[in-house]
Amino acid sequence: MPHLAVADLTATYPGTDKPVLRDVSLQVEKGEIVSLIGPSGSGKSTLLRVLVGLLPPNSGSVRIDGEAVDYTSRRSLKNARDRLAIVFQQYNLFQNMTAMGNVTIAPIRIKGWRRPEVEADAARLLAKVGLADKHASYPDQLSGGQQQRVAIARALALKPEILLLDEVTSALDPELVGEVLDTIRVLAADGMTMLIVSHEMGFVREVSSRVVMMDQGSIVETGPPAQVFDAPETLRAREFVSRILRH
Amino acid sequence: MTYTFQWGEALKHLPYLLEGAWLSLILAFLGFWGGALIGLFGAVGKVYGGRLIYRIVDLYVVFFTNTPALVQIFFLFYALPEVGILLPPFTAVLIGLILNSGAYLTEIQRAGFISVRQTEIEAAEVLGMSLAQIVRYVIVPHIAKTLFAPLSSFYIWLVLGTSMASIFGVEELTGRAINISTTNFRTIEIFSVTALIYIAITILASAVLALIGRYAFRVRAKIF
Repeated sequence: MPHLAVADLTATYPGTDKPVLRDVSLQVEKGEIVSLIGPSGSGKSTLLRVLVGLLPPNSGSVRIDGEAVDYTSRRSLKNARDRLAIVFQQYNLFQNMTAMGNVTIAPIRIKGWRRPEVEADAARLLAKVGLADKHASYPDQLSGGQQQRVAIARALALKPEILLLDEVTSALDPELVGEVLDTIRVLAADGMTMLIVSHEMGFVREVSSRVVMMDQGSIVETGPPAQVFDAPETLRAREFVSRILRH
Repeated sequence: MTYTFQWGEALKHLPYLLEGAWLSLILAFLGFWGGALIGLFGAVGKVYGGRLIYRIVDLYVVFFTNTPALVQIFFLFYALPEVGILLPPFTAVLIGLILNSGAYLTEIQRAGFISVRQTEIEAAEVLGMSLAQIVRYVIVPHIAKTLFAPLSSFYIWLVLGTSMASIFGVEELTGRAINISTTNFRTIEIFSVTALIYIAITILASAVLALIGRYAFRVRAKIF
């Protein structure tokens, strides 16, 4: 059974009629790392937003371990959000909390887990993302790369099964991209199931077990990185690959 | 000028006046926090409540920000007994101040709600926070930090506004100053001392607020 199964998903932004996702179907196995690539506006980030319930789908289904998510039910959505975690392009840290506060708020306040254990776990996570010495720093005292790594630790603090990464390096200065990618490599080595939206093609090629290319809300090609990058089958994919490889 | 100052006449009443100042501070404190609580619900209602709730809150805000606080308190004190609700002066003044500051603080806090980055709220939402938790852990601390200056000045304004209570016989600072000056007729001395006490307590209140802001909300506020 796939860890995450998306079938015929269609979604439209409120107040518009043009669907941003059209009949998207996708399966991610446990421990698999699937990367979504494609031009801007192709629906990659929207797919992640639908999965975590920030945009309700018009039709189609999402299943986690075979269990259907009902995005109209608060309970079902909460259950899905327990299992999925997302890291955003703009980190979205809570500005009024330290790094430690950002990582521990949800486990302590929402889950009601015990503070000593949560803090020990958070310290371990912050060490894992290379920020063992930044527990007491506020977001505005951290660089973009450090903030993004705190955001990754925060996402992991609720012990999710599937991690969604939405262009997590796009807002960073080039010299800070490496540290965030290194963090993701560590998670990949741990066997975390991940769905990654990224423009870092070298990285995508290196870590992904499968690459999915989207265009205008639909999936146009899917396969192992070598196939999608070196021998794309569809014309649309060939155009996109030739354009990104020229850079 | 033929007037001879007799400062001793004023200064011998200093302890009596200071007790009144304490009452002024208590009135302002309760008025502020009562108003802040109403303002919080008002702001949530206006931002998340839908059209009907928005209208109701807006009506309240428009009414209380477009009529003088003094008129509102008069209404509470003199009109309500007609329908059988007899409020003691302190209570009438306090309710008036709370309702009045609630209207202003609704608008101030609404500005704070709107200024929270939408992305921070989304992050809280996907972590599984309910609206109440988002307000408690993300929005209110943000408001406290970004709106610290307007909230502090509102608090000072409220401290001074408590002088209205004297009209209804509450013996706060101004009320006590009136009491003394109507018996010894040293009005200039009494009110000079009273003004100095107001200055002292507002400086004190500003300093306390700045300290709270600096240590609780990381606001870069000057203490003096």
